[in-house]
Amino acid sequence: MSDYQGILVCGEISEGQLAPITQELLGIGRKLANDLSQELSILLMGKNIGNLAQDAIAFGADKAYVADNPLLETYNSDVFTAVAARLCQKISPAIVLLGQTDTGRDLAPRLVGRLQGGLAMDCIELAIDPSTKLLTQTRPAFGGNANATVVTKTARPQIATIRSKAMAPAQLDESHKGQVIPAEDLIDAGAVKVKVLERVKEKTEGIKLEDAEFVVSGGRGVGSAQNFEALKELANLLGGAVGATRAACEDGWIPMTQQVGQTGKIVSPNLYIAIGLSGAMQHIAGCSGSKCIVAINKDAGANIFKVASFGIVGDYKEALPALTQKIKELLGK
Amino acid sequence: MYILSAIAVAFVAYAIYKHYKLWHIGKADDRSKNIAKRVWAFIITGLADGLGHRRFLKEPYPGIMHLLIFWGCLVLLLAAAVDATTHYLNIHLEGNIYLWFSFIVDISGILVLIGVFIAIYRRYVQKPDRLNTILDDGIILSLIAVVIITGYIIEGLRIAVTELEIHPEWAVWSPGGYVFAKAFAGLDENSSLILHRWLWWFHAILVDAAIIYVALSYSKLQHIIISPLNAFFRNTGPVGVPAPINIETAETLGVGEIKDFTWKQLLDLDACTNCGRCQDACPAYLSEKPLSPRKLTQDLKAQWLKTSQFKAGDSGGQPPLVGGAVTEDEFWACTTCAACQEACPVFLEHIVKILDLRRNVVMMQSKMPENVQLMLRNMQSRGHPWVGAQSLRLRGDWTTGLELKTLAENSNVDMLLWVGCTGALCDRNVEVTLSLVKVLKAAGIDFGILGEEEPCCGDPARRAGYEIQFQTTAEQNIAMLNGYNVKHILATCPHCYNSFKNEYPQFGGNFKVTHHTELISDLIKQGKLRITKELDLATTYHDPCYLGRYNKIYSAPRDILHAIPGLKLDEMNRSKSKSLCCGGGGIHMWFEQPIGKKINDIRTDDVLDTTAKTVTTSCPYCLQMLEEGILHKQMQEALKAKDVVELLEQVIEQPS
Amino acid sequence: MHIIVCVKQIPDPEVPPAKFKIDPATKKVVPPPGVPPVISVFDERACELACRLKEKHNAKITVITMGPGKVSDVVKHALAMGGDDGVILQDQAFENSDSFGTAYILSQAIKKIGSYDLILCGRQAADWDTGQVGSILAEILGIPAITIAKDIQPEGDKLRVFRVMEDGYEVVETPIPCLVTVSNEVGLPRLPSGMGIIQAARKQIPVWTAQDIQVDPAKIGPAGAHTEVINLFIPVRETTCEIITADTAAEAAIKLAEKLREIKVI
Repeated sequence: MSDYQGILVCGEISEGQLAPITQELLGIGRKLANDLSQELSILLMGKNIGNLAQDAIAFGADKAYVADNPLLETYNSDVFTAVAARLCQKISPAIVLLGQTDTGRDLAPRLVGRLQGGLAMDCIELAIDPSTKLLTQTRPAFGGNANATVVTKTARPQIATIRSKAMAPAQLDESHKGQVIPAEDLIDAGAVKVKVLERVKEKTEGIKLEDAEFVVSGGRGVGSAQNFEALKELANLLGGAVGATRAACEDGWIPMTQQVGQTGKIVSPNLYIAIGLSGAMQHIAGCSGSKCIVAINKDAGANIFKVASFGIVGDYKEALPALTQKIKELLGK
Repeated sequence: MYILSAIAVAFVAYAIYKHYKLWHIGKADDRSKNIAKRVWAFIITGLADGLGHRRFLKEPYPGIMHLLIFWGCLVLLLAAAVDATTHYLNIHLEGNIYLWFSFIVDISGILVLIGVFIAIYRRYVQKPDRLNTILDDGIILSLIAVVIITGYIIEGLRIAVTELEIHPEWAVWSPGGYVFAKAFAGLDENSSLILHRWLWWFHAILVDAAIIYVALSYSKLQHIIISPLNAFFRNTGPVGVPAPINIETAETLGVGEIKDFTWKQLLDLDACTNCGRCQDACPAYLSEKPLSPRKLTQDLKAQWLKTSQFKAGDSGGQPPLVGGAVTEDEFWACTTCAACQEACPVFLEHIVKILDLRRNVVMMQSKMPENVQLMLRNMQSRGHPWVGAQSLRLRGDWTTGLELKTLAENSNVDMLLWVGCTGALCDRNVEVTLSLVKVLKAAGIDFGILGEEEPCCGDPARRAGYEIQFQTTAEQNIAMLNGYNVKHILATCPHCYNSFKNEYPQFGGNFKVTHHTELISDLIKQGKLRITKELDLATTYHDPCYLGRYNKIYSAPRDILHAIPGLKLDEMNRSKSKSLCCGGGGIHMWFEQPIGKKINDIRTDDVLDTTAKTVTTSCPYCLQMLEEGILHKQMQEALKAKDVVELLEQVIEQPS
Repeated sequence: MHIIVCVKQIPDPEVPPAKFKIDPATKKVVPPPGVPPVISVFDERACELACRLKEKHNAKITVITMGPGKVSDVVKHALAMGGDDGVILQDQAFENSDSFGTAYILSQAIKKIGSYDLILCGRQAADWDTGQVGSILAEILGIPAITIAKDIQPEGDKLRVFRVMEDGYEVVETPIPCLVTVSNEVGLPRLPSGMGIIQAARKQIPVWTAQDIQVDPAKIGPAGAHTEVINLFIPVRETTCEIITADTAAEAAIKLAEKLREIKVI
């Protein structure tokens, strides 16, 4: 077990740059590496990404393994798993970190299955236990009703995926030095059994939910697809995005891509306005990072009021138009 | 005349035989049990509804119109029978008997004509919405008119020759004939004789032709025989109760093809006279939904009559029942309020047919409106229909702080208070439950509750057509209740009440079932509840369908209201058996067709037409629907909705 | 096509958060009394997807579950939706297995079942939300794993799988046999048909123990677990909500807007 050393981060690349999650991974990775007095490495997989290795090192990586190949241009489960697994088998990291993203939530379980390590996903907190030197991983469970702290005692590596925006991103330090190690030899073209045929972006008007500073979200209480127009109006007014609970999405009132919740989007806007939604924990798991939550609901006992800062107990059909109108005035529009 | 009668009778017999075969395309349905009760009910119905035209006269205008034709024709028929008998027996009516006989018969003929002309005017000039006029209507009205008028002409010819000159004082006893006699006074006897003979034969053959036409063409006039038959075989049990499914032997569930109906249901379709009273009464039709009970029945009838043309294995095949003759939107629009059945003069039973249609699409094809599916899934996994409610409160939460005994702790109680899913899980209705508990305690009633153990009675599953779920639930509930030795159930929700009282016996559950208004009304009469305060309030009462039309409980809630000093009760036009549904029944609490108007809005308008400041009711669905209607109209300040027990709670003496 | 669907019975996730309780000693959730367990949300979607494939492409469905208690309920539910056969894996030795143990036990059962074309699982169990069993199971069986799918369309001897992405979806092509984990974007699961319920009620579901599927005791239960839960707690949420009151909801909304402006949120 002590032959397992070091932290390995699986970096992600987006639009030719290190994705924000990669900075967050390097941030926590650096901290854990310091706590263990061990090295922090990063694996970058992609096409034409050679220059990003230095960026990663500037963000704190001691070693950057670069697999630069057209096969890796977009995420392919079989190839990426093969590269990552082979690297782990080669360098035997004690800890592997990934993001809880489209990539990470597919790659991490396959990786742990292949390497026979231990995995906890969607972590909101990672720490090294001072006495055992084990990685303690805290993650939501039971639809967000509870948090579980998990350790992997003897299996290796200890793998974690981190929730987006849950951990502080690494700070840039151009003076930090590190090694760039080519990793193309790990690529196995024959590993591909599942081929990606196409990727379809579903157009949502306006800002991406995860980036929005303002989110207006609706639940079953909104009542119909038509009624969501009123929420869209307020979201547009604020320059934000519309979210919804799983129930509202399943009823077809709004596309699934707008689902906020544990299995949907995790959002952390400045203002989250919750309309006609009761506040099931798996939904709150998606929005609890918001700076300010405001709720409008007919039911005074709705769970959402337990996490909201402000609330109106009443019919949103009366409150929302008035709210939109007043905000319009205040914004001078 | 023998031959003509024989021909007519032969055709009638043939027609009855043909209909009999067509009815028995349908499945078996044993109506022979309790034959004495059935015969007695038929005698009563025959007298009150047949001869007395009880249901017809609810609307005087068409009621009297039909009364004239019915009674007129009845007398004419009897007269013809008397005529034939006296002729063949060679006994003749004489003297004053003859004169009065002539007079009554003549007047009857005139009444029939008056009735027919009213009918023609109403159908073709006034054209009320509910009348769906086809060629047959014109034919039969014309036939009746021509038969009667030729009858008078014939009589007139006879009187002109036999009475006018000789005994004019007799002639006037046949006023109809007299008029024509005067017209033919100038004709010589020979011509009169010839004309008389021709017209007599014409008249007689026309009658036969009319009978043959009616026999062969599925004319509306067939109702003369089929409707009384339908009345005889009608359901003598509670309203709207469908048959359970035999899980062991069932091959199809519900009705997917016309032959899946029972023979009695097909007889029902046969008996429909297309009168449209059901349509006029139907809340779905009134709110512009796709359903007209009349049209549904007629479309099913047309589909049924067509089956005789299609043989098994016919490659063309008959067009489908659902999606062809009737559409799903139609039968999902029904709120099962029973206004159609209440209005129908020939005792058609629309509700069970609609439930049968739902059963097939739900249980065989898993097709239903999405919200219905969500509700039924919730019933399956969580045991109640209120999707999402469980994230806010659990079944037993309403009992917090009340110190009530559950049957699990002590099952030795006088009665079980069954609060229902709505009364336990929906905020507004929990308030009513709490009111009731206070009133029961004030009266010293010994009751127990099930608390978190209380399941759903299963009613929403049955109304949605998901009968399997209902049966499983009912059987489990009966076992549980028997396990606690429950004998008496006090139900607050009329739907639970109806299920326990009228449907659970189908599965071996026999309990005494009381609605809370019945119990409270009795308690007031017995002096066990002392009313010590006044309530100066103008109210109206909305009769829930499942309490009113289904179970005939109209006076108990009103007794309670009348017992409250200061309370004024201003009844709506559509009240008691004519009460308009709130729109929540038939699983419409859980899904809405976004077509036309909302039924509860229309009902709220009924309330607003009275002087009431509070509308009272005694059903949790009605309460929610009325409050929603009030909210839509932004009338929350001016008008409140309350359960009867909530008002009572305010005025009784509470124990200290 | 032979489809194997893995389903799990879980405590009802839909309970009022106030009633959610944990026993700190056993680190287990204590469900409120009178609330029956249910089939895991995503597993039900997996059943739904299997039933759709059966309708369109003539498949046979075998449903497996592993767990303590009256788990036959979830198997019967899956059979009533359209499953053909069911298997229950129940043994005290299975209890307290982690994702690896669970995947291993399932793999042994699947080996006993024999040949298959597709294995469907929920993307995560709606209780612990770990989300690994499917991928680990695929790894053990040596078949491709495609995660978080919302639809599958057979194409000749391959499958087209539609995977949910953050901003849309992607379509991948996989050979069979393979394993697919299913997400709720599949849509509303069907209501079991009447005939389905009747037939499911008549079926006998075999129960296999550790011996029946020949598991290595070192790989199951706490002994075989790679990860261990050292703490399960309800996070303390410290917010007091200020309810804005007024005569009408509309007036309250106006006050709310002003308040938000005051604290510079808008």
